[in-house]
Amino acid sequence: MSGRSASSGSRFEWVFRQLLRLYPPGFRARFGPEMLQFYRLRSAEALRGRSFIRALRLSMDLALDLGRSLPPAWRDELRARRARHTATSAPLPPEDRMDSLLLDLRFALRSIARRPGFAAVTILTLALGIGANTAIFSVVNAVLLQPLPWPDAGRLMFVFGARGDERQQGDVYLDYLDWRRSNTSFETLGVIRAQSVNLTGGDTPDRLIGMFADVGALRTLHATVARGRLFIDSETEVATREPVAIISDALWRTRFGARTDLLGSRLVLNGQAFTVVGILPPNFQTPVWAGAVSAPDVWLPIGYYPNKGDLDTRGQAGVLVVGRLRPGVPVTRAQQDMDAITRRLAEEYPVTNAGLGANVQPLAESIVGPSRTPLLLVLAAVGIVLLVACANVANLQLARAAARRRELSVRAALGAGRGRLLRQLLSESVVLSLVGGAAGVALALAMVHVLAASIAPLLPLHASITLDGTVLLFALGATVLAGLLFGVFPAWQASNAHLHETLTLRGDAPVGAAPLAGRHSLIGAQIALCVVLLVSAGLLARSLGALAHVDVGFQPDHLLTLQFRLPPTKYRTDAQIASMFTATIAQIRAVPGVRAAALVRATPLNGNGETMTYAVEGADVRRAGDLPSLQLNVVSPGYFETMMIPRLAGRDFTMQDRDSSRRVAIVNAQLARKIAPGASAVGRQIRIGGDSGTLATVVGVVGDVKQFRLSEATLDQAYVSYQQRPLIFTEVVVRTTGDPMSVANAVRAAIWRVDRDQPVWGVRPVQRSLEDALGAPSLTVWVTASFALLALLLATIGVYGVMSYLVAQRTQEVGIRMALGAGGRQVLLMVVRQGMTTVVIALAIGVIAAIAATRLLASQLFGVGATDPLTFSAVVLLLAIVAVAACWIPARRASRVDPMVALRRE
Amino acid sequence: MRRPPPADPERLLPLTPVVLHILLALAAGTTDDAQGKHGYALAQEIESLTGGAIRMGPGTLYGSIQRMLATELIEEVPRGRGGRGRAPGAAEDDGDERRRYYRATALGRDALDLELRRLARVVNFARRKHLLRDPEPA
Repeated sequence: MSGRSASSGSRFEWVFRQLLRLYPPGFRARFGPEMLQFYRLRSAEALRGRSFIRALRLSMDLALDLGRSLPPAWRDELRARRARHTATSAPLPPEDRMDSLLLDLRFALRSIARRPGFAAVTILTLALGIGANTAIFSVVNAVLLQPLPWPDAGRLMFVFGARGDERQQGDVYLDYLDWRRSNTSFETLGVIRAQSVNLTGGDTPDRLIGMFADVGALRTLHATVARGRLFIDSETEVATREPVAIISDALWRTRFGARTDLLGSRLVLNGQAFTVVGILPPNFQTPVWAGAVSAPDVWLPIGYYPNKGDLDTRGQAGVLVVGRLRPGVPVTRAQQDMDAITRRLAEEYPVTNAGLGANVQPLAESIVGPSRTPLLLVLAAVGIVLLVACANVANLQLARAAARRRELSVRAALGAGRGRLLRQLLSESVVLSLVGGAAGVALALAMVHVLAASIAPLLPLHASITLDGTVLLFALGATVLAGLLFGVFPAWQASNAHLHETLTLRGDAPVGAAPLAGRHSLIGAQIALCVVLLVSAGLLARSLGALAHVDVGFQPDHLLTLQFRLPPTKYRTDAQIASMFTATIAQIRAVPGVRAAALVRATPLNGNGETMTYAVEGADVRRAGDLPSLQLNVVSPGYFETMMIPRLAGRDFTMQDRDSSRRVAIVNAQLARKIAPGASAVGRQIRIGGDSGTLATVVGVVGDVKQFRLSEATLDQAYVSYQQRPLIFTEVVVRTTGDPMSVANAVRAAIWRVDRDQPVWGVRPVQRSLEDALGAPSLTVWVTASFALLALLLATIGVYGVMSYLVAQRTQEVGIRMALGAGGRQVLLMVVRQGMTTVVIALAIGVIAAIAATRLLASQLFGVGATDPLTFSAVVLLLAIVAVAACWIPARRASRVDPMVALRRE
Repeated sequence: MRRPPPADPERLLPLTPVVLHILLALAAGTTDDAQGKHGYALAQEIESLTGGAIRMGPGTLYGSIQRMLATELIEEVPRGRGGRGRAPGAAEDDGDERRRYYRATALGRDALDLELRRLARVVNFARRKHLLRDPEPA
């Protein structure tokens, strides 16, 4: 035998020695050494061939043997011991502690096995509770507890441009250069900006997600390459840019078949050849919001960012700044540092930078923060379900303990102390909860994939949700806690058996007042928790309802949208861009099935949008920092008609509103009221883009539209014509006669008739954007509502169980009452009243708890107050009805008691 | 609780298969019956006796031995140190001095005798009723 198998043999022997300890001490003392000897001989023989099958067979034999021989060995031992014990009634000596634990476990298993129905209900209830908690916690763990996927991520910060507390759309590149030069808090600072780029030169034009960045950004993230190299400083400085690119592992594998010769070759991006210098590793993550932007395919020098003016104009926000703090520098110090720098810049460039500050925010906070509240909400909801489940099981235990009083008092009479009984009862709870917990983990394992897929809209990063050590530890904690929660109180009650009293009673005799009070407080707690959960679910559902009925300001059905971006190298002048757009829109309108079509910079609720400051001409000009902002959209004539946005005054854009004619704008109703309160805004002038911006004459007024979110307050909105402000990026909206997707290919072909190299993407019905906008909130509602209903179901079972038990206990009393002339109706009311007293008190407590709890919910609500009276009264009414029903059925049974039968039972 | 040894072997019938086979193994080939057999040898013998059908683990074996000692079907053979009869396949022999040897008591032999007769009656009965086909010649 080789040394290795000998050592594995001795490891097996160690296991066998441990297993030997399971045998009763008397048996062990006598046969232990011989059994070990037996084992050695058997294993030496079995493992001689060192075959895995033989080892397996040996293990199975031993396990089987253990299962067969342990129970009789213990039976013999216990018989002998009980005989001794009743004679002396001495406490167990300390060396028998381990054995007495095993004894407890054995008793527990036996007494559980005696009532399989009870055990099954308990285990199922706990499995549901613990399983749901484990699954939800696995998500919380992956999103909130695991560190972000970058080295030393705690030092990573976003620096957001901000006016007061209001975060701006992005950072100004020229400001960033000043920040980088002057700050003392950051080890590195960098900029990123995601934007799609066109890849041409293949069979079909393709759109990639581009990430324009500088070396600082890659350094800040501690990025590495799997092949090739990262950018070097000179390649990403705007002035000295080089046409180089780094691509993602995913793009390298899917599009280029993991070709090893790709490094050094050229990709035509936005019409220009870039040399591939590096390939990122597969696990590299970009700090973008998973829901908003897909992972970038290609990293390009920031100098190639195609939006003219975004990099060389002070006041033009276009990039996002990421930084890594120097070791030991707290966020507050970095913030003070940035405050000092931005104050100096405001003095230096008062026109653009007055009032413009910078907020330093940890990446973790920024990326994970928005998910925290919904996730914790769901975790709280599922925690309440577990509490309600525990209360139910506790009630079951109490009922069982009452039925077992005789058994327990016999045990007490035989010399078992209270602690001994308590321990035995608790072992039963712990065994039940461990089995329930194991089943729960299995349930969670089955649920976690489905959950991960369905909960994706709530998640910020592409987090991998697994049942890792932390989650399993949580499950174990929840299990033990549940076991104690539902076990301690009943065990305490039951172990309080008075010998003289109980031994003389029948096993099912009525119990004293204390356990009943306990059971009423348990159902009271359940109902109160249910109120909290149902009210939360109700409020969230009402918010969702309010969101779904928000007037978006346009007709979303039969609308198709798609996007494209012109390569700046190909379309160099505004005139070229405008004429391409004009030709495209004409082609699209000619497609059969298209009723109307228009161009728009940012289709509502599609995630895009541009915000600019404005000033009403004639109003007193104040400092730049105090200017209000509006949401600006660039559209083609016919846009409002296509979207069915009502025109309230003035006219639409026409093809005569061109570059050479006077600047015109159309504003929404809210902005019109601000421009000319009580009068017509048409003919008035506004300056869009602050003091240095363009002065435009208002020619029309249209209805208000929701642009970014369904829940947003109405924005000031202005529209300008694409002929007067041509941008290389545009979306197309198409009003169709039939199913929007049915014309998608024809519309794409229409664009390719104008430019066959132009990639087109984001082809989807506008209705889908609307559904997506409701996705995350409706998910929260569904999850919370399901948990609330589960809790309601459990609580109903609890109330029903307690009332039935009560009625059964009082059969005799009811019989006497009826024999003395009480009517069935009176009995019914008596029983219902008794149950409902508890319920009413519990409802009152629940409402108070819910008022406190829903304040935490306020940020998730829309269009409904946290103390919405309708929701509260509906929940109270629902619970009251359910509780009355749960009391009614047992009460009816009581009222139909035949007095003679009831009395004869004694 | 120690049961009083039943003087009447009839009261112990029927024997469990394990007990029956232990008694069989102790009775068979007993030229040196007085020496008895130790546990592992017993298990080995039973395994080969039954063609591998009964393969006992240590717990089952010693559990049965304990009960058979209690009912005095078997007894331990008193002996000094130093075992004899190295077990087949034993790689090392260091535990030999701990080994205990067992042999059947008179009661055990009686019980075995009675049990075998009982079984023989059962077999004969089955044969008469043509319920038992004779085994193929080995």
